[in-house]
Order: sequence, then structure tokens, then C-alpha cells
Amino acid sequence: MIEKKAIFSTLKGNVIEILPDINPEDIQIEKKLKDLGANSIDRMEIVNKTMEDLQLKVPLVRLGMAENMQGLVDILYNEILTKE
Amino acid sequence: MSKDVVITGMGVITSIGQSIEEFKFSLKQGKCGINYLSQNYVPQISVKIGAEIHGLSFESALNNYRSGINDEIIAKALSIGKRSTLPIQGSIISAIESWKSAELFEKAIPGERIGLIVCGHNTTNHYRYNLYEKFSKDPEYLSPRYALQYLDTDQIGTLSCVLDIHGDGSLAGGASASGNVGIIKGLQLIRSGEVDACLVAGVLADLSPMELQGYYNIGAMTGGKYSNNPTLACRPFDEEHEGFVYGQASGCLVLESSESAKKRGIPVLARLLGGAIVLDGNNLSNPNEQGEIRAMSLALKKSGINFDEIDYINAHGTSSPLGDKTELIAIREVFKEHSQNIWINSTKGLTGHCLYSAGLIEAIAVILQMQEQFIHPNKNLLNPIDTSFRFCGSELQQTEIKTALSNSFGFGGINTCLILKKE
Repeated sequence: MIEKKAIFSTLKGNVIEILPDINPEDIQIEKKLKDLGANSIDRMEIVNKTMEDLQLKVPLVRLGMAENMQGLVDILYNEILTKE
Repeated sequence: MSKDVVITGMGVITSIGQSIEEFKFSLKQGKCGINYLSQNYVPQISVKIGAEIHGLSFESALNNYRSGINDEIIAKALSIGKRSTLPIQGSIISAIESWKSAELFEKAIPGERIGLIVCGHNTTNHYRYNLYEKFSKDPEYLSPRYALQYLDTDQIGTLSCVLDIHGDGSLAGGASASGNVGIIKGLQLIRSGEVDACLVAGVLADLSPMELQGYYNIGAMTGGKYSNNPTLACRPFDEEHEGFVYGQASGCLVLESSESAKKRGIPVLARLLGGAIVLDGNNLSNPNEQGEIRAMSLALKKSGINFDEIDYINAHGTSSPLGDKTELIAIREVFKEHSQNIWINSTKGLTGHCLYSAGLIEAIAVILQMQEQFIHPNKNLLNPIDTSFRFCGSELQQTEIKTALSNSFGFGGINTCLILKKE
């Protein structure tokens, strides 16, 4: 069973990939992707890539409701629980 | 009184040079950029050769232009282009080179007075082709960026963002004549007073194996005798020509009103006297001498010059047997006896046929030859199909070009012609 920590780690890896100039230490779970400098397309891409890595298919509108990265991790985590 | 239009900037990325200086050097050498295609496609296709761009590093190419440019602009270009496609990266690099040569970073024109014409269409086919396998398995994982990047207009968004262009902007499409169509549309924008300057960007045609095979199947692309000898395969106007060879290139020109260039106190590279676009009313791929005659005659008329003032023609000359023959018939009809005095060559013999950007690459070749007083060789032109023309064959010719004509013809009966004058 995957842990939230692992989901965040996947998300973080994609933030670094899409925003290569970012300092990895700045990627804190309570922050919003927007505050890390991700524009609207970067945000969609980070979320989409994370879903692909986790082999999940969550409608992007649902993920758009997340307040911050913690919210994204929670939604993805719940999706995995439902799937299992 | 219509405005005089001049060319004040140029930039290129081609198979024979990744800057204006390198390209000029290769033109003088008559260097050919054609080789075996670097990718082995699955399934295999009939096309094996092309003039591809090799060893291009987006980051180091931009770094070469860094001096004298605000760091923020280079950072913005890197950020936008680094995960983009080759056609976008090529356009950014050549646009920055042209901007720099037009001194637009130091002696700026307000963005609202600058236009942008992007030449080409169907420019994202290879990008889409490469995504299709993954898409067919999991459509949900298609990158959201696809909705921006599949559009040809991504070129408009990207270049206007990098260079702060805020005036009139659009795509110019005309198949293989797209480059000349775009230059003429840029000329019209400046003459109408809509803008003071216009960036005309010829998009690198990144063909997927499907387009390459399509050109082969329609009989336009070479694939016979010289398939195993790539540098000999493109032979415009030679008895052994067999069809065109695919080429990759990005090319940009900065067009500007003469008043604006004077006001900014910058050197003029050449004058763009005029151009013409005429249609055959034909949805097929065949050339039409009447259309070509009309394009050249109208371009001369619009430019206000007599046919006997032309001393050089950069031919469309794709190395297609019917195309080469038709163009010569049309040239003879327009220039009569004077046609034997005009130097003729085809830059496609060196770069391959760069399709959407061909008009830009060839206009740049014309300007470089004017500036340095030479006609570049066509090393494979050994036995001309008609010996009564003054072709530049295997040796470079030193001569002054005062007024030149550049032809580009496209599938669908699109005939275009430009007239350039030495400054």
C-alpha cells in the first residue's frame, strides 16, 4: 500500500522536471504549485505526469479543487484507496 | 507614395550553418548538407536521405548571442523553448540572431509597432506522430501542453513572447512558397502603415515519416540513382535530376520601413523592392509556366523595374525534372534574350528543399551573395538541361549583383516571386 509520502515524492520529482530552475528545498507540501512559479500549463502538466507515474486517471477538474500540494496528495491517495 | 521597405536583420539555422556567418561560409564552398537520415523509422520508409540539422544545442546557441542582450530575455527564451520542439527552438534561435543583427535589442521599436508573420503550416506533424503510440494506449496521459504545442500558432505565441512583439501577427501558408508568401505579407503590413517593422519567421519543416513517404509516393522526392550517394542526389537543372531532397532550416528576416531604419541609424542589408503571389487555380502538385511567368512579371512590375535590370535569379530549382524545366521556360519567356545574361543558381542544391522556410533561406542567400559579390556554386550541376542559360556550376563566380529575383512555387498552384536590390 502506497504512502502519502511516496505520492508527494513523485509529485516533487515532477515539479523539479517541469520547473528545472527550482530549489528542491523550496518544494514544501503546504505550498501551492502556483507559488513555486508554475504557470497554468506547468501545473496541469505536473499533475498529469504524476497521475501517469501512479497509473491513476482522476478527472483534472477534481484535482483542480486542491488547495495546495497536500490537497493534491490527499486526492490521489484517496483515489488509490478506492481503486484497491 | 508607398513606403520603401528594407531588410535590417537576418538569422538562420540550416544543415550547412547554424548562424549567418557559418551559412555564408558554406554557400561560398558550395557545401552540401545532405546525408543519410539519422533516424531509422519503423516501419521503414522509402526516403533515406535529407539535409538535417545536426548537433544543435538550444542552450549553447542562445548563449552565443548573449552579449549585449538583457539576461532576462535569454532566460525567458530558455524557459519557453527548452522543452519545446525543434521547429520552435530553431525559430527562437534564428529570430534572436535576426533581432540582434537589426540592433533591435539596443535601438528598440515599440512592440505595438512591430508585426510578426510566421511562415508555414502543418508544422507539428512529427511531434504529433511521435505522441501517437502513447496516446493510443492512454489518452488521459497526453500532456496538457499538447493543446498549445500542436497548433502552428504556438510559433506566434512563442516568438511574440520572447521578443515582446505586440503589433499585427499571423501565419502565412503557401506550401513550399510559404516563406515568400510571408515576406510579401510582411512587406504589405509595413507599406500599409500597420507596423514599422516585421519579423518574418520561416518554420523548420519537421516532417514525420508519413509526410516523407507521401512526398515520395506522389513522385516529387528523389529516390533513384543517387540514393546511395546523398551529396550527389540534389542536382537542380542537371540532366540527372530526379526530384527534391528534404531539408531542415529555420530562417528569419527583419523587414523595416526605410524611415524607421534611418531613424534608428542602423545599416540596411538590402532593399525589398516588391513581390507577387499568383494562383494557378490548380489543386494538384504540377508546376505551371503561365503562373510562374505571371508571378515574375507582376513582381517586376510592382517593383518598378525593367526585366533587363535583373542580374541574378535564385531559382525555385528543386531538382525536380518537370519543375526545373518549367521554371526555365518561364524565365526565358519573361526575360527573353536577357535571360542568357542572368546568373542562375539554386540554394536547394546545398540545403535541400526547406519547404516552409525555403523562401527565407533563399532570400538570405541572395542578400549574402549581394553583400559579398559572389554566386554560390551548385556542384552537381555538371550537364545543364539547357545550355543557353548562365548557370553557376561547380565553381563560385565573383560578380556584383545589383538586382535579384527569388522564386518559390508551392503545391496547389501557388507561385511567388520577390525582387531584392543591393543597398
